[in-house]
Amino acid sequence: MRWVVLILAAAGVAAAGWVVWDRVRGPTATPIADFSAPFVFGRFAVPPDNAMTQEAFTLGRHLFYDPILSGNNEVSCATCHVQELAFTDGLAKSPTLSGGELDFSSMSLANLLWGQERFFWDGRATSLEEQALMPIQHPEEMGQDIDALMEELRVSGSYRKMFRQAYGSVTPENTAKALATFMRLLISSNSKYDQYLRGEVRLTAQEEHGRKLFMAHPDTKVSLRGGNCIDCHSQFLTSGFRDALDGFSNNGLDSDETMPDGLMAVTGNPAHKGFFKVPTLRNIAVTAPYMHDGRFDTLEDVMDHYNDGIVVSDTLSPLILEADNAPEAGQGTVGLRMTPDEIQAIIAFLDTLTDEAFLTNPQFSNPIEGGS
Amino acid sequence: MRPIIVISAFVALIAGWFVLNSGQNKATPITLTFHAQMGDEPLIYDQFIYENPGGQGQFRVRDFRFYLSNLSFGHGGETYAEPDSYHLLRFDNADSAHSITLPEVPLPSVETVRFLIGVDPAANTSIEARGDLDPNSQMAWNWEVGYKFVVFEGALQVGEDVSPLVYHVGFSENAREVEFSIPAEALADGKQEVNLIVDLAKLFDNAALIDMQALPSVKFNRTDADALADNYATMIAPTF
Repeated sequence: MRWVVLILAAAGVAAAGWVVWDRVRGPTATPIADFSAPFVFGRFAVPPDNAMTQEAFTLGRHLFYDPILSGNNEVSCATCHVQELAFTDGLAKSPTLSGGELDFSSMSLANLLWGQERFFWDGRATSLEEQALMPIQHPEEMGQDIDALMEELRVSGSYRKMFRQAYGSVTPENTAKALATFMRLLISSNSKYDQYLRGEVRLTAQEEHGRKLFMAHPDTKVSLRGGNCIDCHSQFLTSGFRDALDGFSNNGLDSDETMPDGLMAVTGNPAHKGFFKVPTLRNIAVTAPYMHDGRFDTLEDVMDHYNDGIVVSDTLSPLILEADNAPEAGQGTVGLRMTPDEIQAIIAFLDTLTDEAFLTNPQFSNPIEGGS
Repeated sequence: MRPIIVISAFVALIAGWFVLNSGQNKATPITLTFHAQMGDEPLIYDQFIYENPGGQGQFRVRDFRFYLSNLSFGHGGETYAEPDSYHLLRFDNADSAHSITLPEVPLPSVETVRFLIGVDPAANTSIEARGDLDPNSQMAWNWEVGYKFVVFEGALQVGEDVSPLVYHVGFSENAREVEFSIPAEALADGKQEVNLIVDLAKLFDNAALIDMQALPSVKFNRTDADALADNYATMIAPTF
């Protein structure tokens, strides 16, 4: 009898000890084991102090979809970043808390591991970790006091547990890291174009025509026709370029008089006036309206802009100003001057960038029961 | 007495091994620093301050960059080739300069330096990311053509008219080899840095004299590209 009591007591002590130990030990995060990235996307870098782990992804996913992140507990990241719209919101400019609209259109979140290492249309954040906390605290976006948010998260047993497993304690830094990890793993790599690059499918004749135009800067001297897309959108990622500030450009939307500052607001360099982040074209067919201010409703409108609607300004990209498919001088308009068939071919190619598996991937969906 | 002899022999052996070994493995640290200039002055971006070499007007520089690849070093009959040697040189920084540092060139010293302006044909037709080669970068045309080797973008102002300047030179045949010798004293006494001038003016005013108004862009026309390649072939020179 004494032995039984002793054994039970020992088991009780062990169980209590495990519970205590589980709560005080460090995070138990497990690296994402089967992570692989398409070869053609090239190199990427994950911050050394924020390794991609299952636990960080799970926490980030919960935070992304939870309106607890906003001051009024009604707005989550997913309010303006809707999965089926490639994490945009379908609006020209996202609404503000006070009923107006923000300066910029909601950006698509896909393949953020590659391309520019600056975030937002004007590049004001230099890492996803830095970016993640900015909309939360912006008075017109989510209007949340970061310390108040930490108090709210600490009240939740499940958040305390998710933070503990991923990072340790509930802190603003760990909140940012988790959201960054979730965003980093929003990878779109199964569009028809990806399948074509892997040699699994053929493009139609029209799509192939569009692909060739996409990849070519026109040169009338050698009768090369081109849509000039590749001068800003990299050939495989279709995003802006990674090096330095190469991924920012003035694409001829506004005159010097009406042009917003764009990247110049961040760098202070007048040569960057009106420069905005070149977005990825992945899933572009579902991310209308287009441009930093959502001024174009359709891809046809976008193509019309590049074809004959370029507004000349001092910082306009010389590659855009110079690119012209017609040998004779233009009559008052600036643009690519392609044929309607060529424009439709480019749009057909852009349609091959839609990745249904990405738009419906259950791992990227709202994990909170009942939705938000 | 005997143990002392054994210990002495052992010490001599170890000392000898270190002396010989260090001689065999002697490595030379070297830094090549490229300074972008227009003529004799440091390159200045974004201002209409440079004369069109072959015609009217003034031009400004928005972008100037190029690939330097297959860097190798010689000493006597030995050569050392840097692996994955693909460097994108850009000068949009405070010093208008770009440095390449090799902490350990496995040669007793460096007497000659060789490299390509451009990219060798094998790498130029590959989409593998090596060194600074990146098929998703601004330097990629597309994988059927390869990389741009030398990029110059800017604008020409003639009177009130401002027009774009776009010179993109690629194609495997336009890689140009550069070779120079380093005088012994330049790397003596712990000196590791070799300074080189990259004279952008030579791109337009060298074997061929370019009128930017008549030839505002060079892209896929092979004759024009070849002329600019012959011009940039001698735009880099060391200064000692």
